[in-house]
Amino acid sequence: MSGRTVLLDGGWCEIVMQKNKTFHKKKIFVVFIIVLAVLVVLLCRLVFLMIFCSEYYGTKAKDLHQRERDIKAARGEILDRNGEILATNRSVCTISVIHNQIKEPEKVIEALAKELQMDQETIRKKVEKYSSIEIIKKNVDKEIGDAIRKYELEGIKIDEDYKRYYPYNDLASKVLGFTGGDNQGIIGLEVKYDKYLSGKSGKILTLTDARGVEIDAAVEERQEPENGYNLQTTIDRNIQEYVEQAAKKVLEKKSADSVSILVMNPQNGELLAMVNTPEFNLNDPYTLTDVTPGAVLSDKEKQDRLNRMWRNQCINDTYEPGSTFKIITTAAGLEEKVVSLEDNFSCPGFKIVDDRRIKCHKVSGHGAETFTQAVMNSCNPVFIEVGLRLGVSNFYRYFQQFQLLSKTNIDLPGEASTIMHKEENIGQVELATISFGQSFQITPIQLATTVSSLINGGTRVTPHFGKNIQDADGKIIEELAFSSKENIISKETSETLRYVLEQVVAEGTGHKAYIPGFHVGGKTATSQTLPRSANRYIASFLGFAPADNPQVLVLVIINNPQGIYYGGTIAAPVAQEIFENILPYLGIELRYTQEEIDEMKEEN
Amino acid sequence: MSGWPDGRKDTVSKNRMDDTLAVIVILFVTFGMVMLYSTSAYNGEVKFGDAGYYFKKQLLATALGLFVMYVVSNIDYHYWEKLALPAYILSMVLSALVLAVGDSYNGSKRWLSLGPLSFQPAEFAKVAVILFLAWYISNNKKKIKSILSLFKVILLVLPIVGLVGTNNLSTAIIILGIAVTLVFVASPSYKQFGALALLGGGFVGIFLSVEQYRLERLLIWRNPEKYEKGYQTLQGLYAIGSGGLFGTGFGNSMQKLGFVPEAQNDMIFSIICEELGLVGAGLLLLLFLLMLWRFLIAAHRSTDLFGALIAAGILAHIAIQVILNVAVVTNTIPNTGITLPFISYGGTSVLFLLAEMGLALNVSRSVKK
Repeated sequence: MSGRTVLLDGGWCEIVMQKNKTFHKKKIFVVFIIVLAVLVVLLCRLVFLMIFCSEYYGTKAKDLHQRERDIKAARGEILDRNGEILATNRSVCTISVIHNQIKEPEKVIEALAKELQMDQETIRKKVEKYSSIEIIKKNVDKEIGDAIRKYELEGIKIDEDYKRYYPYNDLASKVLGFTGGDNQGIIGLEVKYDKYLSGKSGKILTLTDARGVEIDAAVEERQEPENGYNLQTTIDRNIQEYVEQAAKKVLEKKSADSVSILVMNPQNGELLAMVNTPEFNLNDPYTLTDVTPGAVLSDKEKQDRLNRMWRNQCINDTYEPGSTFKIITTAAGLEEKVVSLEDNFSCPGFKIVDDRRIKCHKVSGHGAETFTQAVMNSCNPVFIEVGLRLGVSNFYRYFQQFQLLSKTNIDLPGEASTIMHKEENIGQVELATISFGQSFQITPIQLATTVSSLINGGTRVTPHFGKNIQDADGKIIEELAFSSKENIISKETSETLRYVLEQVVAEGTGHKAYIPGFHVGGKTATSQTLPRSANRYIASFLGFAPADNPQVLVLVIINNPQGIYYGGTIAAPVAQEIFENILPYLGIELRYTQEEIDEMKEEN
Repeated sequence: MSGWPDGRKDTVSKNRMDDTLAVIVILFVTFGMVMLYSTSAYNGEVKFGDAGYYFKKQLLATALGLFVMYVVSNIDYHYWEKLALPAYILSMVLSALVLAVGDSYNGSKRWLSLGPLSFQPAEFAKVAVILFLAWYISNNKKKIKSILSLFKVILLVLPIVGLVGTNNLSTAIIILGIAVTLVFVASPSYKQFGALALLGGGFVGIFLSVEQYRLERLLIWRNPEKYEKGYQTLQGLYAIGSGGLFGTGFGNSMQKLGFVPEAQNDMIFSIICEELGLVGAGLLLLLFLLMLWRFLIAAHRSTDLFGALIAAGILAHIAIQVILNVAVVTNTIPNTGITLPFISYGGTSVLFLLAEMGLALNVSRSVKK
């Protein structure tokens, strides 16, 4: 047994037995140092993970732990000009199941199938699917949701929700439009003003364990939804309703394919009503109105039919305007001074342009007539003459000046463009046919807007439905403004135009729209659709009142009427009926002319 | 050079054991029990309807372990010298037995059942190897000089490494690590170990590539977010990252709620990181380091090589296990199932760990006056 004194790093001295030699101790110390070094490396790794990657992993972990449930924002309402609600929301429920929380699957399946009137197998698939949350049915009535709640079954989640509701069902359906399952607009104003109406959905963030069970003690993070703003429109519910009835009546009476009527204020472009009969039920927009029960349609076919049903013909479709377009020819002719009201013409019943013989609608001819009389007679040869006097470049310039060739920029989606010949392609024959409203197509809204601008003293207006944006308390957030352009025609020409159009109704082809004391002005049209051989007609009438200061303009278009198809005969009376009712409603006073007073005296 | 001078026993019994080490052990056991309850309560509730399920089982094993530690700390460690070889043979028998009639849990056949008690022979094997090698080396000290004799020692433990490694690679690596450490301590040479380290590296490489699933683990390690099997690793990283500097607070871990699978087992360190932050995790590692330091002191103060080697073996055992566990949890190395000593759930593990602590404590007594 021999001992030695060793001085180690620790600095202590001791006697060590021979067997545990110094080199052993050194080596154990080396081992310790290696361990220490490795632990330091691991600590660095921890620093890296817990300080520099903390945010990355922390966020990922939080995403994993949090279950996000949307709180839908209430969509803004759509109001008419008087504040009546045209589109609102109804409380509904979304029923879903949480797989991990279900304790009695059979009872859950049975209860849901019974209350929701759904197939048991469909529900079973969702109940047995391993997912955090599975939606069974959306847009369930609140009463049914409450009934399901009474079962007190675990694992069923009933989230209250909003569904779009249209109190008047099919009123202005193609204007208002409707929303999809996620409350976003699909057509109409619902799309155009979606950013105001939709609001911003909120969120409930709850912590869950790995099975998806919510942790009771955890604090819910809640982001409140921001409800959408209300949209006040220029629609007058009463007028819209009345016009719809009138449209429906003539549709049935004339067995027409469709009837479009729009009512606007020519002074500022506000649309009071826009009807496209047949309308559809906004609360059930996916059911075809014109389908024979039991008919089987392919998906594509059905979608095509739906798209057709949802079309707003006033805006999305173009047509040959026919004689109503003579208003524009008249305006251009008067403005360019190539014609005056007193100019004398003679109509032999046709006019030869180049080598073409273009007939007047009165085959025997109107004989000698002034320009005023020619407008009242809707005499084609005279308008051809005016068109030829204007010439291609002038006429085209006026089209551009009247903004007839561009879109109206109405606040509805899908507006169709004017289909017009290119200027360089217009020969004499084309010029002649354009003069009386044929060989090109425009939308009804374009015609109504252009005429409005010509008769209102020459201010090109933008047709629109949007009036203002309000919050839930009715406080106006934003007044909607639309562009306008003055002096597209002189005030004098505008006045002359109004005068001559009043004559058309007072004593001419538009006489059936005449109402004593209201000074209705207007123009009729009867146009044949393409192909001409199909013998399909469009009867229309464009009228406004009072002629000296137009407050309301009505355009009636009857598509493919059966039997008599003259605009003056079937469309003008519809306008007359509408004027008769809405003019007093709009507070426009009766002002009889001396002749009218005399006439009434005679009748008495 | 064999045998001990008479009267030494008296010297040993008169010395006080290392109080610091004892306190550290108690700290670990307490902290481990608290942390175990915190992490296992959710899993216990979900699987067995009893939040205390894992805690109670662990408490029983710990109580038994503390008793064993007390007893062992009072038995002169030279007593185990004559039992070293039989214990080693017994561990081989048990490890062979487990291959034949063992119970599987989570796809690994590692348990031997005896009535209601189950037992992991691999845990016993670690202690047996420490004792066996300490005994063998201290009795063949003269021979441990040449590189050949070093290989001979390694060869001695290869049977148990093979037996255990068949379905518990991690423990086999630990056993091999202990053996290499003890040989390193026993040999005066340094150079030979450079070669040995290279050889060991090659060996591990071959071992890894033998089976497809081990190569797959490497791919998962490189990019845990891309593989479905990287789930556990990724969840561990989420937990660690969530912790930040000071953690989410004790008991507030979200990841233990089923996100980190079996959070009370191998991955418990990630939950400690989440709840106690970098500061808590750092302090825990510091406490481990302190414990290793006490083993170092015990080894230095030991009067004979046998005691020094026991302390060194225990040091190696704890160090390797802590390093591998933390490295796995932080995705520093590919995933392999290694528990964190004193903290992770495991009855056999805590029982034999505490027995080892008893040994270490007794070695710490053998300071010469």
